[in-house]
Amino acid sequence: MAIFQKRVKEFDTPYAVSAAVKNGNAATKLSMLIMGFGSIAHKQVLKGLLYLAAEIGYLWFMIQNGFNCLYHLITLGGQEKVEVWNEAKGVYEYSGGDMTILFLLYGVATIFVTLGFIVVWRANMKSAYEVECLAKEGKHIKTLKEDIAELLNRKLHWTLLTPPLAGILVFTILPLVFMICMAFTSYSKVDDRLTIFNWVGFKNFATVLGMGNSIGKTFWSVLAWTLVWAVFATFLNYLLGMILAIVINRKTTRIKGFWRFCFMLSAAIPQFVSLLLMRTLLKDNGLINVMLMNAGIISSPLPFLTDATWARVAVIVINLWVGIPFTMLQVTGILQNIPAELYEAARVDGAGPVTIFFKITLPYMLFVTTPYLITTFTGNINNFNVIFLLTGGAPTPVGSTAGKTDLLVTWLYKLTVDQQYYNVGAVVGILTFVILAIVSLLTYRNTGSYKNEEGFQ
Amino acid sequence: MKRKVVSLMLTATMAVGMLAACGSNDNASSAGNSSSAASTSDASVAESTGDASAAEDSSASTEEEAITTTLTVWAPSEDQSADSGQWLQTMCEQFNAAHPNWDLTFEYGVCAEGDAKSTVTQDVEGAADVYMFANDNLTALISANGIAKLGGQTAEAVKNTNSQAIVDSVSVDGSIYGVPFTTNTWFMFYDKSVFSEDDIKNLDTMLSKGKVSFPITNSWYIASFYVANGCTLFGEDGTDEAAGIDFSGEKAQQVTDYLVDLVANPNFVSDADGSGLSGLRDGSVSAMFSGSWDASSVAEALGENYGVAQLPCITINGEEKQLKSFAGSKAIGVNPNCEYPQVAVALASYLGSAEAQKAHYELRSVIPCNTELLADPDIASDVLVTAQNNTFDNTSIIQPFVKAMDNYWTPAENFGKSLVSKEVTHENAVEKTEQLNTSLNSSVVE
Amino acid sequence: MNEKEKKVRSMKTRGMIADTIVHIVLAVLAFIWVIPVAWIILLSFSTQKGSYVTSFFPKGYTLNNYIRLFTDRNILDFPQMFMNTFIIACCCCVISTFFVLSMAYCMSRMRFKMRKPYMNIAMILNLFPGFMSMIAIYYILKVFNLTDGAMIRVALILVYSGGAGINFYIAKGFFDTVPKALDEAAYLDGATRFQVFTKVTIPLSKPIIVYTVLNSFLGPWLDFIFAKVICRANAKYYTVSVGLWKMLEKEYIDSWYTCFAAGAVCISIPISILFVIMQRYYTDGLSGAVKG
Repeated sequence: MAIFQKRVKEFDTPYAVSAAVKNGNAATKLSMLIMGFGSIAHKQVLKGLLYLAAEIGYLWFMIQNGFNCLYHLITLGGQEKVEVWNEAKGVYEYSGGDMTILFLLYGVATIFVTLGFIVVWRANMKSAYEVECLAKEGKHIKTLKEDIAELLNRKLHWTLLTPPLAGILVFTILPLVFMICMAFTSYSKVDDRLTIFNWVGFKNFATVLGMGNSIGKTFWSVLAWTLVWAVFATFLNYLLGMILAIVINRKTTRIKGFWRFCFMLSAAIPQFVSLLLMRTLLKDNGLINVMLMNAGIISSPLPFLTDATWARVAVIVINLWVGIPFTMLQVTGILQNIPAELYEAARVDGAGPVTIFFKITLPYMLFVTTPYLITTFTGNINNFNVIFLLTGGAPTPVGSTAGKTDLLVTWLYKLTVDQQYYNVGAVVGILTFVILAIVSLLTYRNTGSYKNEEGFQ
Repeated sequence: MKRKVVSLMLTATMAVGMLAACGSNDNASSAGNSSSAASTSDASVAESTGDASAAEDSSASTEEEAITTTLTVWAPSEDQSADSGQWLQTMCEQFNAAHPNWDLTFEYGVCAEGDAKSTVTQDVEGAADVYMFANDNLTALISANGIAKLGGQTAEAVKNTNSQAIVDSVSVDGSIYGVPFTTNTWFMFYDKSVFSEDDIKNLDTMLSKGKVSFPITNSWYIASFYVANGCTLFGEDGTDEAAGIDFSGEKAQQVTDYLVDLVANPNFVSDADGSGLSGLRDGSVSAMFSGSWDASSVAEALGENYGVAQLPCITINGEEKQLKSFAGSKAIGVNPNCEYPQVAVALASYLGSAEAQKAHYELRSVIPCNTELLADPDIASDVLVTAQNNTFDNTSIIQPFVKAMDNYWTPAENFGKSLVSKEVTHENAVEKTEQLNTSLNSSVVE
Repeated sequence: MNEKEKKVRSMKTRGMIADTIVHIVLAVLAFIWVIPVAWIILLSFSTQKGSYVTSFFPKGYTLNNYIRLFTDRNILDFPQMFMNTFIIACCCCVISTFFVLSMAYCMSRMRFKMRKPYMNIAMILNLFPGFMSMIAIYYILKVFNLTDGAMIRVALILVYSGGAGINFYIAKGFFDTVPKALDEAAYLDGATRFQVFTKVTIPLSKPIIVYTVLNSFLGPWLDFIFAKVICRANAKYYTVSVGLWKMLEKEYIDSWYTCFAAGAVCISIPISILFVIMQRYYTDGLSGAVKG
């Protein structure tokens, strides 16, 4: 808590919303109701009008749709479709029929719009109070032009962050909240609840966390394999990719471009093609088995993708084949960015290549690439393509919902898209998320690149 | 650059757009009709506007009021391809010409019959007015409010022109939901130079004479063995949901034992990813099991040795048991959200009519199901038609499409894979069959 | 003198041996990486039919697979799909790169109140499986009338680039290594932050720009799950990966398998060209700029 407070203070401003409400004059206080009033009162007309427009737009939306959406979010509807036989036309006619999923989505969206409006409202209060204080102190009040110039300088982060954040909000966070909501509903094919469903509270969490049923048991075993997979896939990839890049980067290595080209070639083939290719190569009657059998090396096909252990090793190795070129590409740039003085100093001190690697290259790389490592790690935990396209989770033991190579994400896919247990799928998604979020946040906050961002300046 | 600006603006104005459009459903339905994938029928537009007034006078005798609208029709891409005569477009134009009062513009979309379930239910409102579906999609379509009941004349016509089995395949609780246009099942292709007419009656005889490929890892096919030995899915007629799937007891264990031996047989080849067809082509396999979609490739591969027949028997404990495939139909359905249901229903009815089925057969070799057409000597003499109809009539069961059938596919497929990977053996056959039966009958969440 | 000469010579031989080993290892590895690529190229010229291949070298060679891919436009219109994907990929590339660089620059160089919470949130957001949001995204786009007709392309561009800003971590890590002294020098010269961003930081960050551009360009070529959900029955707007995926479905696999290989080769061409161009930037982009 103490840390949190300290951070807030670091960016403390005298023009806080609470101060505006407490100490502001009439114009500022009126801005609480009529947005932009404070700005207009101090001759920032355009700015004030923009705030006012935002308020009118929001109110108009809420009256048109918003309140209705919020109401439906609570009730989730429930009106069945009505079927009427029309004798004259000789057809059945349909009307009504609620789509709960849309109520849920639009309700969540309305909440988002409201939150966005609150942000604008707060900005309005701050700016009204700021302009009031400045006027009182007789300081210069910024013109619109200066405000805009400010947005390219001191407040550049507002300009640069708004579009990407809006994108993230609409395409990542909104669907995410929507998914979280599903976990508390009866949205699944059980009892035919795919069009009209209802809130059920924490019932689904009980289903998943109760070890008694198959979902509960499967969850923990899939989680274990997912973590094993992610660790191997990430770190082997990283180490081998880095070593490859260093080897190619050595001064005495000839035709560097050619070697890089060879490895990049496989990266140029779309991943899903190369994965399907690998699957056909490794099948029981695939090319590799057929050639080995024809050569008389083996008598029966090697169970690359059909035996649990073979399949697990195979997916990790194939993932290396797919991933190493990318790691190499990524690492090459950073390797070349290592300050040459560091190397020269080390060489003057008489350090050998191994010492240099451990004393300079690796620490520097780890510093720069920790975020990369964490992104790849989380990426691998959610590495849908490799598993889905290579094995589809197979081999699956008789009577189980998850295969031996199924990751949480592919298992989720089977639960939701294939089998339509959306609510249970959402619960599994949330649990996975909670576990992973804790692990990766703890790791990340303890790394050099988080604690000491200027370490290699 | 321009695009960048446009897209940026879009992103930036998302919030504003949300204000305007969020929650308003009418917006969505108008968007549904604005697809630019349209292909309009200019000729008929001109023609039918001229006739509009004339038809108004005779409105007492005809059922048609004047309607100008756009209909979206989804069908597999082969039905729309110029290579195979653009069956869909031709039929739709003819339909338009046959109804002078209706001025119809058609928009075509590509959706294979088996994908109707996922594509239509994803957004029923935005889906086509008329679309084709495989009958096992029916329950999913009904529970998503994605398909309209057919009644009156349309339903009568379906009943009168099809065999009872076909009518049942598109009915739920006594109501008809689609206009069937073909049967859908699988049967056997074989090399006549390897197997005689007598050989093909029993799978075990075939295995002793040549290599046989069977897609045992595909759950659509593997059930045939269990059904052969008396296992049932949802009662005798496949509609009794409470009865569940009965793959229990000795009858199922015997089949598992049979399959363990089958997989171990050196003349047996597990068919996956098209290996069966490739095998026929290079001669390493002499028989395979598939459906009409592979017929032309097989005919090309085998040339004059092309043989096609209903399913063989298998010998379990000395007794001959008939393999039974899943059979179903493909049909045309109508979206309950369409603006003019009478037009959509009439079009669906027309696309499934004898005339349209005949054209379908001639252009694309889609085997008809209309009883009159099947009696037509030209069609009846086609070996493929004979094989498919024999299979449908003699060696198949109607593929159950009750909701609980959803629980069948994945466990059955995994069981097939376990057989091939030798995880299932004679020693654990009893136990594994029990497990299979349990998972076939339980939903994951219980 | 003699001793020293010996030492130099022995070091030289040791270096030679090390070099030879390195080159042999590299050759073996390169072989492993190239062989599947070579196989798919060979397959794309194969006269063989069907999807079941038992030999490395095809029995006969032909160009027909490519000709069919580009002329048989009735069932799977590959040229159209290729154009769709290309357009989408180019737009995505621009938008995503802009988003990622903006986010990364702000997180690395600016100091503001919500910075650290943003960074933490951004990291954990990635942990959610993307496909769970598929249906929600479809309906969001539908609200904006983007799910029909030509707007499908816009929808796909938004799907692939809209959330791209979240993957700023790598770029941020890179910006952290660009010396701040350069920024400060520019401020002393009276530059605004925006000018520093565009005139100082970006020119020094070619590798990371290349990386971002590549990644975002690749996205649309690789994804088939979202593309299928957004395009639905609108075959005209399918992207290449949906098309290639269709070629492997049971109705098509037998006759389209070799065309599938040809299609894969065709997609790889623009991507490899991009790689080759980008590689040049890699090698000479940085050496001079930062350290001087």
